[in-house]
Amino acid sequence: MIPYATFTYFGVLLYAVVPAVLLGMLFRRIRVWILGASLLMILVQYSRGLVAWPPTLGREFWLLCGYALFQLVLVSAFIRIRQRAKRRGVFIAALTLGLLPLVLAKAQPYLAPGSLWGFAGISYVTFRALDVIIGIQDHTITSAPPLELAAFLFFFPTLSSGPIDRFRRFAGDWERRRTRAAWLEDLDGAAHRIFTAFLYKFILAALIKRYWLDPAAAEHGLWATVSYMYAYSLYLFFDFAGYSLFAIGISYLFGIRVPENFNRPFLATNIQDFWNRWHISLSTWLRDRVYRRFTLAALRGRWFKDDRTASYLGFLLSFGLMGLWHGTRSFYLLYGLYHATLMAAYELFSQWNRERRVWGEGLGWRVAGTVLTFHVVCFGFLLFSGRIGPDHA
Amino acid sequence: MSTAETVLNVLAQVSRTEAVRDHLDLRLYDQHLLDSLATVRLIVAFEEAFAIQFDDVEFEREDWATPGHIVAFMEQRLGK
Repeated sequence: MIPYATFTYFGVLLYAVVPAVLLGMLFRRIRVWILGASLLMILVQYSRGLVAWPPTLGREFWLLCGYALFQLVLVSAFIRIRQRAKRRGVFIAALTLGLLPLVLAKAQPYLAPGSLWGFAGISYVTFRALDVIIGIQDHTITSAPPLELAAFLFFFPTLSSGPIDRFRRFAGDWERRRTRAAWLEDLDGAAHRIFTAFLYKFILAALIKRYWLDPAAAEHGLWATVSYMYAYSLYLFFDFAGYSLFAIGISYLFGIRVPENFNRPFLATNIQDFWNRWHISLSTWLRDRVYRRFTLAALRGRWFKDDRTASYLGFLLSFGLMGLWHGTRSFYLLYGLYHATLMAAYELFSQWNRERRVWGEGLGWRVAGTVLTFHVVCFGFLLFSGRIGPDHA
Repeated sequence: MSTAETVLNVLAQVSRTEAVRDHLDLRLYDQHLLDSLATVRLIVAFEEAFAIQFDDVEFEREDWATPGHIVAFMEQRLGK
């Protein structure tokens, strides 16, 4: 069952959410129910046979369980080793092992067509698991009790499509004892987000899809493609931002204040600004974990004559990875390379502009920047949609 | 030279903005005075200035939002 997509799902969701609200009113922590509700919802989400009688647990469910066991063992083993010594080789081995199930799941269509090696959300869970492994190496995470770790990795509201929370932030909420006021505040945050989510996903995105995107998709020619580009970009935003708001809103009901994922991205005045506003949990993950680490290593080691070379390669690495993270189709990679190029070009331009002051600061310039960024970004989504590009049949 | 002075010297140099010395509440990222590359340059410059090595570079932008934030962050890191 796809989360936040059907009314059946919302019906089932009440069984997880109503107790969470009531327990939250009675107790300062509801950790047992975070685990219980996650297990319940995972059973519903990953076992199609559950609604039949006798109920059967599907392959996807068992793959998820196997994956969970694997990551828990990996993290516990890595913590033990790290406590004794900091070794780069062990760290790289742990990262590689942590990434392996995702790589296999992505490679499955080429290695074993027709089989199933992953589960919905494996990319998101894997990025959360790597966050823990990196934190252990940096010694910002010194303990990860199995239940807490399982709750973090498989917290059901954000399981299948994010946002990607961070373990240190999650751990704070996991330990938090809520007062009645804090419980009310969470409830308020949840209600606000859930209603906005309904507006975005079930009204705006649905209308755009039905009256604009689907008709444009059926037509051919340049203007149909241009129309499709706008429709797809707006649809993607309202659908995904709506989805994220559901996930965040439901999380609040459990006292877990998952970070925001969108901040009015189409008002961005430049491409760098856009990536601080679009799919924020993924872009900050890549910025801090991939770009920052890579460029830092390059600058410390003086790998390149010019710092900017390191920065460009850092962009290429993080956005290339972002493309692959979405899937192995060539248009995803193209989408990543497109944004890496834009980021590098923007960095070059803004440095040049600091001296020359060609691009000004006033309202007119900001509007121009917003319009330009919007179009550049929409073209990126057109690539991402696969309607044009190398794979297009 | 105090930690705060050194931090502000380095920051003024990396951000190429003298105003950071007197405006401790300047929003560095919002005002486009710092970006991703400048953040990394700043880390390396601090490491050289204080002869240290950061183990943990996973801090959020909010931790370095203004010159005041950065001074407080560095004072805490250096255990002062």
